[in-house]
Amino acid sequence: MTSLCTLTAKDFKSDLKPIWCPGCGDFGVVQAIYRALAAIGRPPHQIAFVSGIGCSSRIPGYTTAYGFNSVHGRALPIAQGIKIANPELLVLAAGGDGDGFSIGGGHVPHAIRRNVDLAYIVMDNQIYGLTKGQLSPTSPRGLRTVSSAFGSLENPVNPLSYVLAYGAPFVAQGTPADLPALAAVIEQAIRYPGFAFVNVQSPCVTYGEEEQQIKAHKARMKPLESLGHDPSDLVNAFRLAQDYGTELYTGVLYRNPDPSPTLDSLMRERQQKMSEGALPRERILELFAQS
Amino acid sequence: MAEAIITPHVEEPKKKAPAQGDETSLITGSEAIAVACQLADVDVITAYPIRPYDTVMQYVAKLVANGEMDCEYIVAEGEHSQFEIVKHASACGARVFTGSSGVGWMYAMECLTVTPSLRIPMIAMVGNRALDDPKIPSRAKVDAFLPRYDRKDLLLHPDNPITVAPQANEDWLMEIRRGTAAAMERSAGVIREAYADFERIFGRKYGNPFFEEYMTDDADVVLVGMGTLSNPVRVAIRQMREEGKKVGFVRLRWFRPFPAEELAKSLGRFKAVGVIDRDFSLGSPYHSGVVATEVRTALYQSENRPQVVGFICGLGGREVTLPDVRKMSEIVSQAASGKPQPATQWIGLRE
Repeated sequence: MTSLCTLTAKDFKSDLKPIWCPGCGDFGVVQAIYRALAAIGRPPHQIAFVSGIGCSSRIPGYTTAYGFNSVHGRALPIAQGIKIANPELLVLAAGGDGDGFSIGGGHVPHAIRRNVDLAYIVMDNQIYGLTKGQLSPTSPRGLRTVSSAFGSLENPVNPLSYVLAYGAPFVAQGTPADLPALAAVIEQAIRYPGFAFVNVQSPCVTYGEEEQQIKAHKARMKPLESLGHDPSDLVNAFRLAQDYGTELYTGVLYRNPDPSPTLDSLMRERQQKMSEGALPRERILELFAQS
Repeated sequence: MAEAIITPHVEEPKKKAPAQGDETSLITGSEAIAVACQLADVDVITAYPIRPYDTVMQYVAKLVANGEMDCEYIVAEGEHSQFEIVKHASACGARVFTGSSGVGWMYAMECLTVTPSLRIPMIAMVGNRALDDPKIPSRAKVDAFLPRYDRKDLLLHPDNPITVAPQANEDWLMEIRRGTAAAMERSAGVIREAYADFERIFGRKYGNPFFEEYMTDDADVVLVGMGTLSNPVRVAIRQMREEGKKVGFVRLRWFRPFPAEELAKSLGRFKAVGVIDRDFSLGSPYHSGVVATEVRTALYQSENRPQVVGFICGLGGREVTLPDVRKMSEIVSQAASGKPQPATQWIGLRE
């Protein structure tokens, strides 16, 4: 689809003032989304942006796209429904690590295996920030929080190997510490025909750990490109995904070079095929009345 | 309920010195709940962060971390698991506690529907917000009040192989539900016994367990409500009493089992009743809150049926103010003097 006028990042910024803590990583994520959407050039009214519950799930409201702030953990089923009902829309889903890998964790595999064409952006801060700093599913083992005074005894979910294991055709990671790179992976995720996942290490300034802040990210992050990683190499992608929690890789971890058809396109195809040669409705009613 | 006891109105509790071993502290409701769990020697607590239950979680975590409470404290991956974990821990003989708020509670609903049929003791709080200064009783008194949690032959244990939650086909559902219903009917007696024990051991008297009456003896009209409404309503009533207005307050303590007969008998004494709901049931009779609907139902069989006016206010934690209470009271007085009033009115609404 071609756009009639050039859109800029500003066109995707809503009048609503974010109520995130000053310095929250999510400010960078929303900026990256504005830039990615401007580069893609679809007007805001052709975009549906779905989220769950949590600090990061406020994000659709800060864009001019159509937003759906749903219930905790349910962004993906709603986003899939929207895309299937109206395949013309560009559909984005977003939320936090609790939304995507704890309460809503059961939806991720099914969204992946259905391969509905949408981009899912998780703002992973390894903590429940909105409820004042409890353990989250990606909290590292040993983390001390208000709900784990002596350190967590549980292993974290690894979002990267989680989605790779279920067959996600596009998997990337980013950090607001490198905004242009983050905008670039989000843009690629949106453009990818199928389920695309971006894990954004988005620091929680209020409850997050020191090494999870922007400054530490700048020192730690390693662009996958500079490591010579080939995004079509699934085995190497899996190997690199094992470093989640110790290394901060940025860029595209895996991109299936041979995308399989998306559920929304398959459904349309079948509809068309089955309606070919079908009798007109009036004729069906006539036959029904005769029998 | 078989017997119907009308208790005289309970006096405003006087500030008195705590009984031996008790201590008074200024803490939040959330902290008080955590302390209650500690005193009750709860074995398993589950949590999933949602405001304001998260503040209870926090205090529980602190007690556990400080070594002041010995319990398994599990942060689950969602409310659904949270409620399942405690239910089955209870089956294995653990005293349990859990809780949630708002939509989290709704998400747990699937687990909650099957819990009563299993008759597994489980306590859950649904978070509301309040600040109060509870008197914390001594551990010795709590131990005297709460017997050791013993499931006897219903204990799920390798030495006692039993089946919990066996699958039954739907042709047995009526019998299963009837069993649960019979237990609920008996619960009214158990509640009375528990209040009597509580009074004997802790020396705190709450009168009628099911509802409390405030300045109702000579009242023409009363307001009925639950929970945190109590504070603004009492203050407003004291003000109105000084102005010679005969208004009283009936505060429900138990919603299930609903004390229908007792409440109907009590409310039958007044000319009009205003029911204040801090909730709203969409599309319900007269577009009311749930308490108003229950009160009307309870009164239907009654000989004396006062006018019932329903009020919706304080939704989403909005403050119920003294002028709000005075306004509601005025409307109920109008109803009492024969001026018809709409069945449901929204109070404190931005127009």
